[in-house]
Amino acid sequence: MKSPGFLLALPTALIVLLLGFVPLIVILVWSFWTWDPATYWIRPELSLAGYEAILEAGRWSVILGSLGKAFLTATICVVIGYPAAMAVHFLASRRTALLLMALFTIPFFTSYMIRAFSWRLVLGRNGLINGWLTGTGIIDQPLDWLLFSNFAVNVGLVASYLPFVIFPLILSMQRVEPSLLAASQDLGAGFWRTFRSVLLPLTQAGIFAGFLFVFVMAAGSATEVQMLGGAAASMISVMINDVMRVVNFPLAFAISTVVLIILFGLIFIGNRLFKLTRLFEGFTW
Amino acid sequence: MVASFESRPLKVAIWLMTAIGLAIIYVPPLYLVAVSFNPALQPALPALSDISLTWYVALAKERSLMSALQESLLVATVTALVATALALLSALAYMDLGKWRSRWFMFVLLPMFVPGIIQGLSLSVIFGRIGLKPFWGTVAASHLLWALPFAFTVILTSMAAVRRSYLLAASDLGASWWRQLVDVTLPLIRPGLVAAFIFSFLLSLNEFGRAFYLVGRQNTLPLAMFGKMNSGASPTIYALSGSIFLASILAVAFVLLAARASDRKLRR
Repeated sequence: MKSPGFLLALPTALIVLLLGFVPLIVILVWSFWTWDPATYWIRPELSLAGYEAILEAGRWSVILGSLGKAFLTATICVVIGYPAAMAVHFLASRRTALLLMALFTIPFFTSYMIRAFSWRLVLGRNGLINGWLTGTGIIDQPLDWLLFSNFAVNVGLVASYLPFVIFPLILSMQRVEPSLLAASQDLGAGFWRTFRSVLLPLTQAGIFAGFLFVFVMAAGSATEVQMLGGAAASMISVMINDVMRVVNFPLAFAISTVVLIILFGLIFIGNRLFKLTRLFEGFTW
Repeated sequence: MVASFESRPLKVAIWLMTAIGLAIIYVPPLYLVAVSFNPALQPALPALSDISLTWYVALAKERSLMSALQESLLVATVTALVATALALLSALAYMDLGKWRSRWFMFVLLPMFVPGIIQGLSLSVIFGRIGLKPFWGTVAASHLLWALPFAFTVILTSMAAVRRSYLLAASDLGASWWRQLVDVTLPLIRPGLVAAFIFSFLLSLNEFGRAFYLVGRQNTLPLAMFGKMNSGASPTIYALSGSIFLASILAVAFVLLAARASDRKLRR
């Protein structure tokens, strides 16, 4: 068979490069240019003002805070997602496994905004949880910290990005040779022993991939903070919007550059260490 | 099944975590759907006798939301068409790329991980510099980058139905590359193409961050809804959110059921 592979790849390659990567590289370059108040635009003179401004007004703490939230979200998602993936792969019947996979697939294609918004009805002063807690007499006054708080943001982030952790985990579990688990048992290891010394090490690529996916998505998220965060709550994306409101292009570009370098750096290092793409090559011709 | 996973408390613990995961994902939006049928202004579960479509009827009068819906449907259709076509080409390329496969896979997937706001901002300044006014096409351009990785993965997965032997047989019978594609590959991956189209459509319809800097005079639906949600939400927003959420679920469920049906047919 003649191999038109590279030709077939061309249209996508051009689109992804021109719409995806070139604009990002351009703003990387422009982040080093000088702001020109006369034209409300930038001019090609080297300037680090954008990067210096990141260090002001607590912007670093917003970046670190966002990464912290993303880290927490990813950790919680792995803790919930690992047993869920085990249920799908080891415990469920074929029918149930398909149903569970369907239930974890659906949220990818629903609105993150609507899902975040719906937490307001659950966590608000007159919401589902406060209603239940006051109704049963557990508390007298509704809890205020449930909504418009870091707690609400973290809950919303976990709910939004949990599905991203499930599929890498299932894929990595499918690659575990069942005979290895059986052998471990035959040698007298109980569940925890088998889990710690066989299953966990063999699925570490899945754990890392899932963690990384959630981390990257959460770090770049905006809606969850906008819908559920308190008045002063910020996130990288929200901060970029605030900076753009005063059309400070170099600063917005500098923040974007720093964030992209961190996120892409993590993805490339992760791919190097764990060969993440191999996880998805489950099928062969 | 592995025997040591069969201990009862362990199984209970695993299923409990799974249930918690599903509850976190589904309880709030389904509660919102239930609330949308309550005619009262205060959001709460409606009593069975109170269930009403008041807010759904009121929805039709929300001009700005309806024109935003129209705009979003246009953007989503264009995004889905282009994403499916490009994803098909990319998946066919993947099959042919040999040792470049992993790199190609990574390349197509990467735009998904770019934070939406940053992707939208970077596109909007580029479009601005080349004098392209924001319109539905600029929004679709950004949505394409978000939908393509999903469409690509879906079509790639459906390629598993195309056995190498089928293509070799066709080739032995004198079929050209093109005939193999049209007569063997495409019919076999048709469910994948439909799935890629519907998924891309939904991803575009529901995408918020990427459109922010790229919309022209006409807002997309998520942007219009965002405004309503933060201005003392009138319950019509519950009706709209609820119906979009349900429609998305039904569309995905349809795709998954259809995929399962064709899967069974193949195995027979």
